[in-house]
Amino acid sequence: MRKLGIVALGAAAALTLAGCAGGGTGGGSDEGAEIRVWLVGTDTPDEAREYLVETFEEEHPGSTLVIEEQSWDGLVDRLTTSLSGSDSPDVVEVGNTQASAFTSAGAFLDLTEHYEDLGGDDLLPGFVEAGSYDGKFYAAPLYSGARLVFYKKDALAAAGLSVPTTLDEYIANGEALAAANPGKSGIWWPGQDWYNALPYIWENGGEIAVPEGDTWDAQLSSDESIAGLEQVQQVMTNASRAPKDGQETSPEVGFCDGTTLQLSAPSWVKWSILAPADAEAPGCPDQEANLGVYALPGKDGGAAQVFAGGSNIGVSAKSKHPELAVDALKIILSDEFQTIYGKGGLVPAKLSLADTLGTDEVAQAIAAAAGNAKLTPASPKWADVEAAGILQDLFVNIAQGGDVAALAATADEEIEAILNS
Amino acid sequence: MTTVDRGLDAAPPAARGDHPAARPPTGPARRQRRRRGGFTPYALLTPAIIVLGVIVGWPLVQLIVTSFQEFGRAQVFGAPPEWVWFENYADVLTDPVFWAVLVRTILFAGVCVITTMVLGTLIAVMMTRLNKGFRLLLTIGMLLAWAMPPLTSTVVWGWMFDTDYGVINNVLVNAFGLDEYFQHSWLIEPLSFFLVAGVIIVWGAIPFVAFTLYAGLTQVPDEVLEAAQLDGAGGFKRFRLIVFPYLKPIFLITAILQIIWDLKVFTQIFALQDIGGIRALTNTLGVYIYQTSIAGGDFGHGGAIAVITAVLLMSISIYYVRQVTKEEEL
Amino acid sequence: MSAVIAPGQKIGGIAVAGGRAARSRRTGGGRRRLTTWLLSALSVVLFALFVFPVYWMVNTSLQPNNEIRGSELHFWPDNFTLRNYDTVLFDPGRTPFFPALGNSLVVTLLTVVIALAFAFLAAVAVTRFRFASRRTFIITILVVQMIPGEAMIVSVFRVIDGWHLLNTIVGLTIVYVATVLPFTIWTLRGFVNGVPVELEEAAMIDGCSRSSAFWRVTFPLLAPGLIATGVFGFLQAWNEFVMALVLNARPESMTLPVWLRTFLVANGTTNWAGVMAGSTLMAIPVIIFFLIVQGRMTSGLVSGAVKG
Repeated sequence: MRKLGIVALGAAAALTLAGCAGGGTGGGSDEGAEIRVWLVGTDTPDEAREYLVETFEEEHPGSTLVIEEQSWDGLVDRLTTSLSGSDSPDVVEVGNTQASAFTSAGAFLDLTEHYEDLGGDDLLPGFVEAGSYDGKFYAAPLYSGARLVFYKKDALAAAGLSVPTTLDEYIANGEALAAANPGKSGIWWPGQDWYNALPYIWENGGEIAVPEGDTWDAQLSSDESIAGLEQVQQVMTNASRAPKDGQETSPEVGFCDGTTLQLSAPSWVKWSILAPADAEAPGCPDQEANLGVYALPGKDGGAAQVFAGGSNIGVSAKSKHPELAVDALKIILSDEFQTIYGKGGLVPAKLSLADTLGTDEVAQAIAAAAGNAKLTPASPKWADVEAAGILQDLFVNIAQGGDVAALAATADEEIEAILNS
Repeated sequence: MTTVDRGLDAAPPAARGDHPAARPPTGPARRQRRRRGGFTPYALLTPAIIVLGVIVGWPLVQLIVTSFQEFGRAQVFGAPPEWVWFENYADVLTDPVFWAVLVRTILFAGVCVITTMVLGTLIAVMMTRLNKGFRLLLTIGMLLAWAMPPLTSTVVWGWMFDTDYGVINNVLVNAFGLDEYFQHSWLIEPLSFFLVAGVIIVWGAIPFVAFTLYAGLTQVPDEVLEAAQLDGAGGFKRFRLIVFPYLKPIFLITAILQIIWDLKVFTQIFALQDIGGIRALTNTLGVYIYQTSIAGGDFGHGGAIAVITAVLLMSISIYYVRQVTKEEEL
Repeated sequence: MSAVIAPGQKIGGIAVAGGRAARSRRTGGGRRRLTTWLLSALSVVLFALFVFPVYWMVNTSLQPNNEIRGSELHFWPDNFTLRNYDTVLFDPGRTPFFPALGNSLVVTLLTVVIALAFAFLAAVAVTRFRFASRRTFIITILVVQMIPGEAMIVSVFRVIDGWHLLNTIVGLTIVYVATVLPFTIWTLRGFVNGVPVELEEAAMIDGCSRSSAFWRVTFPLLAPGLIATGVFGFLQAWNEFVMALVLNARPESMTLPVWLRTFLVANGTTNWAGVMAGSTLMAIPVIIFFLIVQGRMTSGLVSGAVKG
């Protein structure tokens, strides 16, 4: 029903839009316009950026498109102010778990009418849901990242281990690797990296929070979640030599200097590892043959339910050139642009482009992981939980060997306080 | 807004007392005579009042209004806010997290202020007894520390305390053989986090205090010091009984500025949290307000916390305000 | 803090008296010499403590990034390289440094000049005239400094946005002027207070008009106060970054602190050499400024401080 509605709306709006364009009022003001696109982090490859700028400026002679790279850190803060101002960026990327904070606040332009043009039902459904609010479509999927386990083939072989098929085996492998290689990480896991902890909770049957009527009930202290968190602690204390309060940035460093034997990270980390040795962020291309990869196994085999990290992208409600901004968005969701993501190891926004990932080991692992991906609680306030750093703090504490049950109970309180405020 | 953060540790960096500037002291009771100016004073105040009114006054009114409302991100984007009156205040005042942050902030500021003042005073006294070359050396060192922007110095100290490659861990392990500091994380334990933050803050604040107090010390008449010596008073006692009374006003004002700055500390904590540490356990009031308002999108509660903080700071500095107003015959 | 040394502030009963704190009172003796020696040694240690972080910053910034990650410490950049500066300054993939430097310089200088001018007028008003709301004004100036700025970010943002001054030098300057003003007025007030009205009156007897007496007699005496206060404005405007982060988010309108934080956050804690190069670049202008102002400020200050 909802989809039908969207289509109908889209058709009606398309007519209005067409009428407007003919009216001539918009044409003049869009001439020589500058469209500002906020992309976050370095996930979007340069090739894609160039393609976007070139294509847009070709299609709209006289107008320019500027990409302003933002950092994930403090993104919610910046979006809250920037999007509400008159000098708002036109097109902004936002983490899929953060999207609802802005869709629900009215920060994004209603894109319901463009739903079909942007890809329609071919768009990743979980991300469409993350970008929709109150039956309207505000933010399109941009890409989805898959988390994979990277390992050193020689280290695994030397320890007489093989690629694990269950989560327990994975943990045991990590501990064994760490034990066999003192001072090295069997599974490199800095304390602030909470994304990697979610599969442990989910695989044990736990949840972060579940809706209960109008309120949210945080579940980190449920027996199932605790079981998962205890496993997390086991890995962090026994298998990881990463800083207990560290961030997950630059995992390639440890991998390249040999102190990290195995780690779970977003799929594009492969390119960081294989970066030229004399690059500014040096990698170790000589390790290519030694670099193995697999999808994190689940408790009962198969791929684990991993966190479907990724991004949505929307048009600011305050954009001065909404039509041009939507055009830019269309380029971003075009097959050509999205294919670049696929080649770079990110899951494209469209289901039909899944095969652009290729057929190698990495691609298979990505496909396996993406097939079983899961999201954080679908609350507009979830972004605030992330911004408050509650989960980072929780896992930093867990990494230090804190009392899991007590920490989880505190975190639950804090999460409920925000989600139900 | 008065982001009076550490950055404005400026102060006329103290006079080096080498410039002879003898003038007979005038009586302490000298007051400025002021005349009625009719319209003139208001005209002179206009530019300042306009700027302050628009950029401080109006937002301040909004802040207070917001603190009585449920004001979230949707309201930032234009949804009408709902009045909740004192609910935000009640929430904040009954929230143990707020009290923890408050106590933490006060304790931390207290330790920083005391350390800064004690070390600053000692260095100032020491400077009066150094010969010129060494005094110049110390002055240069302190000037460099003082000139470092707080953000920069936090980043630099953060790097020195880095878990993996920091110079401090490295020296502790390799030069002193303290193996437990191998990959020791300085920021993970809140106490240790504040130790690092305190070092950064005190390191940056001492130069101002030392320069200012040194300038004050150079104004203490020689006869006074010599008289004290003849009486055979010991060093510390002499300082406390005879020199300190001269310094007291400067000392007080410097201390109060340190208190205000350290209670409002933002940059150092905020940037250090970027580098490591547990946010929830290391928030101070300024950072907590930012987290609640801007990052958390809860401007109602953020506003209430800010108003409470301002009231608190005012009550702490009321002594100073009263001193000043009395003195000025306001 | 001219509050501190400003003449208006009496220094403990004795209004700031002149006379150098003579060091001549030290009259030799073995124990004295030992003390002097110990103090000199201590001052060298203190010098090292104050300077080391600055040195370490520069030292790190001059080494290759992979070098500083080694287990071996390099107390001297033996593998000297300017590459970090090259990337920080010229890498097209980054937020450019020079526009940020330009923005910071312009905003800071404008802030200092405007704030000093406004504060000077206000200081004259509150020290030289009696008027109804004088007391209220002074107390307001004090109280305003107690409000945590972080809470007012969004309100300020809306005001500036309302004038369409987001991402502009003008918008940020207005905010900084307001930020710096209370303290500047407060400080200058002390200096103006310290110049006796009698001086002006004497000049008037000599045939000057009231305003020309003020400009010719009082104003020159305020120069050290203006310099000292200006340093405050400079430091505050140069170092401020929360407001700048929110108001000037566009890469081309960023100021240096925002630029540095962007660099820090984007590089995580992994490209320390690059971050140190950025930090050095941000600190250099302040250090230069201090070196220029220092001499004038101190000499002026002492003469300013004795007019109690």
